[in-house]
Amino acid sequence: MIVLALPDYDALPAPLWLLTVLHVLTLSLHFAAMGCLFGGLLTLFGARLPGGLEHPCAKRLVTLFPSLMAATVTLGVAPLLFAQLVYGRVLYSAAIVSGWFWLGIPIMAMLAYACLYAAAFTKQGVGRVRLWLLLALAGLVYVSLTYSSVFSLAERPDAQKTYYEGDASGLVWHPDVTAWIMRWLHMLGGTLTIGGFFFGVLGRRDEAARHKGQFFFLVGTGAAFLTGMVYLFTLGDLLKPFMKSAGIYSLTFGIVAALIAVPLYLKQRLWLSGLSLGLGLLGMVHARHVVRDLRLEGHLDPAAMTVDPQWGLFALFAVCLLVALAAVAWMLRLFFRADAAGA
Amino acid sequence: MPYPFWETDLGYGPLMAAIAVLHVFVSHFAIGGGLYLVVAERGARRRADLPRLAFLERLSRFFALLTLVLGALTGVAIWFVIGLLSPDGTEALIRTFVWGWAIEWTFFVVEVLAALLYYYGWRRLSPGRHMAIGWVYFAAAWLSLVVINGIVTFMLTPGAWLETGAFWDGFFNPTYWPSLVLRTGICILLGGTFAVYVAGGIPERDTRLSTVRGAGLWGLTGLLVSVVGFWMYLRVDVLSQESFREVADRLVLPGLATEYMLVATALLGAGLLITAVLLPRIQRRPVGLLLLLFALMGMGSFETYREAVRKPYVIHGYMYGNGQRKDRVEAGGEESLLERIAYRTGDDGRDLFNYSCRSCHQLEGYRAIKPFFDGTDAAYISGALAGVHVMRAPMPPFAGNAEERAVLGAWIAERVDTRPLHEIHPGVEGIELGRLVYSARCASCHAIGGYGDVRETFEDFEAEDIAEVLADNEMSEEMPRFSGDETERDALIEYILSWYEEDAPEEAPR
Repeated sequence: MIVLALPDYDALPAPLWLLTVLHVLTLSLHFAAMGCLFGGLLTLFGARLPGGLEHPCAKRLVTLFPSLMAATVTLGVAPLLFAQLVYGRVLYSAAIVSGWFWLGIPIMAMLAYACLYAAAFTKQGVGRVRLWLLLALAGLVYVSLTYSSVFSLAERPDAQKTYYEGDASGLVWHPDVTAWIMRWLHMLGGTLTIGGFFFGVLGRRDEAARHKGQFFFLVGTGAAFLTGMVYLFTLGDLLKPFMKSAGIYSLTFGIVAALIAVPLYLKQRLWLSGLSLGLGLLGMVHARHVVRDLRLEGHLDPAAMTVDPQWGLFALFAVCLLVALAAVAWMLRLFFRADAAGA
Repeated sequence: MPYPFWETDLGYGPLMAAIAVLHVFVSHFAIGGGLYLVVAERGARRRADLPRLAFLERLSRFFALLTLVLGALTGVAIWFVIGLLSPDGTEALIRTFVWGWAIEWTFFVVEVLAALLYYYGWRRLSPGRHMAIGWVYFAAAWLSLVVINGIVTFMLTPGAWLETGAFWDGFFNPTYWPSLVLRTGICILLGGTFAVYVAGGIPERDTRLSTVRGAGLWGLTGLLVSVVGFWMYLRVDVLSQESFREVADRLVLPGLATEYMLVATALLGAGLLITAVLLPRIQRRPVGLLLLLFALMGMGSFETYREAVRKPYVIHGYMYGNGQRKDRVEAGGEESLLERIAYRTGDDGRDLFNYSCRSCHQLEGYRAIKPFFDGTDAAYISGALAGVHVMRAPMPPFAGNAEERAVLGAWIAERVDTRPLHEIHPGVEGIELGRLVYSARCASCHAIGGYGDVRETFEDFEAEDIAEVLADNEMSEEMPRFSGDETERDALIEYILSWYEEDAPEEAPR
């Protein structure tokens, strides 16, 4: 029988460095939006502002939550795309092993989104707003925990096979809690840092709100630092190679940038502080990326993948991205410069 | 097979359909509704029609909530689901079209922001700027369709990509343009139908009647564009090729889906014409809801048809629904399938069933195979697996070797009722028993009056000749030998001979 040779899809459509840059950059943006949303919710519940949810800063935050959710979801698409491109084999495998929990992510995100809208639009009093926000928070906690479980499992192909042999029904939650709990707590600390920062920025003209924001920003930074250190030491055999990799530079850069953000924030140098925090986030996300590569050594080597660049298509993407950014900037400018009574 | 197999009792088809149909329904509305909003706003502002503007503001709130919460997240959910159900197919699509998806994402970012600012900007932005953002929204949303349409149609008609592997050959495939016109029409149609539904609740009579009528005409315009797109679809050469026509003829589903689609579209068109354009006073929310249900039914039927004629492929002519690549299966020969499975359960038969059958069939439940194999035996089942790709229902060839076929046959046989049919159905004998035997052992490949009809073959045969054929072990590589007992064999012969009796019924078991 003559068999027609069909096209392969093994090659990466761009050099690995470019895909890594795009992944790290877009994932950092996703984490930033998610931090404002998830961390903002945590801060709102923890802040106990005078007047509670009737406080102007709280009210403003509640009306902003749906848009923050939209930003989180939208900015989450691109990093998932680039992660699938390179790490699809281990990522899908882990997702299948935890199939039902993985499938629960978009469903819970959808419910959380609907609850945030309900909280923003309800006219049935503060009690109802609190209820909707708590439900949304529960949804986001589920999503974050599941991501930590699945992504930590994705880095352990051998463990995936063992768990799958025991249960192929998609009801496996990563049983090795130590593999993901510190990672999740560290993410939670980082989220609280960004949420506190965002809360303080929103309430910069209100002393109580500003102080609460600063408080949670500091608590978050401290918690992220502590849990991050513990997480680092749970790396075990990976610690040594990590110390010799580019990851340690990214991590150091991330920590320094995040620490620089603290005094700048306390002095209300918000733009500089935000920039420093953003750079810190970028460093952390890259360090996370290096840890994944180290853990996958012997199972998946992205550097060994063949590359068949599609430069023309990449150029088209770059042009579309620039046009999109220009459109975003133009629309935001129109919106925020408009006189509230303009129409 | 580098991925584990998700063993869920939920059928893969219904799970995918539930999320995908909901998503395409909302996302098409997201495009057409955006265009309707901005065009209607322009008209209302020119006429300084304040009640109409108030309606449009309400519609935009409904629009933003529905498209952002349900539309965007069901889109993300599709990614999550296809990764679970068809990881190989998803990997092939992402590796091939990653820049297409990345480009679509840039439009998605603009679309989401514009939808939010359009809704929140009613009282904040000047009319000109507000409408400008509305136009940006529509442009970004439609451009998303322009991109994603290339990937969706690629799965049905990959065209020259199968030879070149080039992005643009796959993207601008034979059904790209018909699908774009058809889907653009559906977008406009759904935008109008949703507007009719929302407008049905306007309390002020004159505003309600004029708004309903306008939205109805809008919807009918979309229907007209859809019909043009559908006509273009019918003219695509590749869809009249044997592989598609055969599938459409062999399966019940494509025909059924076409009928549902035509009926739903006719009902929707007539409904819009009567209840929105001619007699808008009868248009109220329940009537609008009924129109939306017709639209959902039409959309669901169209997507079902598209999925059904693609069988047994996930990417036509390239990758089967079970994730096996066509060229590798054909070149495989006696290659072991089990050796290619990276994630094993410890049970060979179960693994072979998962990676060969379970993407489309459960043992019991969704598209169950048990009823097909009840009354047969391991020898028959493993023999049938050798010819599974020539059965009436389009299926991929078995990708393992002969030994694995026997293992899978035995594994399935342990889970079905292998007693002879006269024991399963006590009291049934003669021609009736023969009909059951034919149904169990022959009809999957030889339907009477349909696919693989063998009535002409046996026309001049006597009972002894048929017995000889049944005893022949090497009739064809793809046909299992007869392994029933003597009672079943005699009944089968009696049944076959009954075809040529004068009062033989025209229809026989499928």
